[in-house]
Amino acid sequence: MNAMTFLGFPRAKGRAGIRNALLVLGINGLVAPSARRIARNLPGCYLVATPYGRGQLGLDKDMHTAQLVGLGSHPNAGATLIVGADRPTAESVADAIVARSDKEVAVLTLDDVHEDALLLAERSIRVGGALARSISARRRCPVSVSELFVGIECGHSDATSGIASNPLAGAVADRLVDCGASVVIGETLEWLGAEHVLARRAADATVSAGIVEAVEQRERSVAATGVDLLYNNPGYENVRGGLSSIEEKSLGAVAKAGSRPIRSVLRFAAPPACSGLHVMDGPGFSPESLTGFAAAGAQLMLFTTGAGNSFCSLLAPTIKISANRAAVQALIDQIDFDASALLDGEGPSELADRLLARVVDTASGTLTWGEVLAESDECFARFGGSF
Amino acid sequence: MPASDQPDGGSKSSRDAITLAPTDNVAVALRDLDGEVRVAAGTQIRSLRLISLIPMGHKFALCAIGCGKPIMKYGECIGVATVDIEQGEHVHVHNIKSMRGKPRGLG
Repeated sequence: MNAMTFLGFPRAKGRAGIRNALLVLGINGLVAPSARRIARNLPGCYLVATPYGRGQLGLDKDMHTAQLVGLGSHPNAGATLIVGADRPTAESVADAIVARSDKEVAVLTLDDVHEDALLLAERSIRVGGALARSISARRRCPVSVSELFVGIECGHSDATSGIASNPLAGAVADRLVDCGASVVIGETLEWLGAEHVLARRAADATVSAGIVEAVEQRERSVAATGVDLLYNNPGYENVRGGLSSIEEKSLGAVAKAGSRPIRSVLRFAAPPACSGLHVMDGPGFSPESLTGFAAAGAQLMLFTTGAGNSFCSLLAPTIKISANRAAVQALIDQIDFDASALLDGEGPSELADRLLARVVDTASGTLTWGEVLAESDECFARFGGSF
Repeated sequence: MPASDQPDGGSKSSRDAITLAPTDNVAVALRDLDGEVRVAAGTQIRSLRLISLIPMGHKFALCAIGCGKPIMKYGECIGVATVDIEQGEHVHVHNIKSMRGKPRGLG
């Protein structure tokens, strides 16, 4: 177990990458069209362009910066080209990325080109092109599996999720943690009804209290909008599928975290301070939730679904898993891992070993369907409105 | 009572229902079930006779569960029985209730 390796790209600081593309990072909505124009001319790059970046204050602004810096520092990016509006903001983001990851970073802004968007694109294509060529000289080499940080998400769950695919993901989470790797789950409101069970597995009293408080805080925010989270939850479809209580529904959801001690409650987009299992306080909406994991440094995602969910992280190859036989057969080029054998009698341990092997294989370069089809994105979570 | 106990051979469709943890007192149907069924609990398979039709994804009792006693799934309490439940009976919203109170801040 300890000798398990994948073929990855060691980085100057932090975890190895499982991919090695140029990241074109638009840090302000004003230059998002320019960032798209640049990326169109650098095939093979990752494009992440925020639609926001000004008129933000307080927590909303800090969290937006945290997401930009986290994504800009991502291990799967061989280098990052920052495209910005004003130079001071762009340099501040660049400095933070370098401090965190020692990543090779180039910065181009509208300030540098007297607000000429076409000139910005032209300069960026040349600079980005040189970076892309330079990082292509890097080669994969054996890296310990302990350098993996895997985010686990669920979306469009059904009756098969809580009994098959989520426990399967949890079994892989346990194997990863036992290898010294890191795992994160999020979607705080999906802990509702199971939060005291999670709290019991916390590594210490602070983490335990943090788990309960994260759920309570979200409940209070929801209640302030006049919505009752426990009304009609589980809902009609859940009940028809066999779920009898919110406890049962949430236990089925958090089964994807496995059974190892929970080391910390991560603030949204925050990197973990140690290896092991962590929970992130974040939204249930998958696009935002996955961006939180990627910004924290997760290089790869496991995403369980029932009937199907096409969304994948852009920066972190996402292994889609379903135990719904009909969905797996219909979505044969969108679901990466068929877990329905669990319902037919395949041993859970054998299937978990197979999924772990798929994780290592994907980390070493085998593409997921989401990468092949570019069925992916990063979505910036907001924590307030623009001013 | 179980009609037989035998180790799981791992063959295709060797089980009709599963438990999620050793202390569970309900099993989940892997397909629509009726009559005599095979329940996979860990590495063992046991036989049990159902007394109701159990749709796929739904639960049935592995033993008698008295009124007020906890329903155990994933090794945790997911609610309590609101009536006496027989072995092999359908366990769902009609005979269990959630223990989760209303969130604080809502009346």
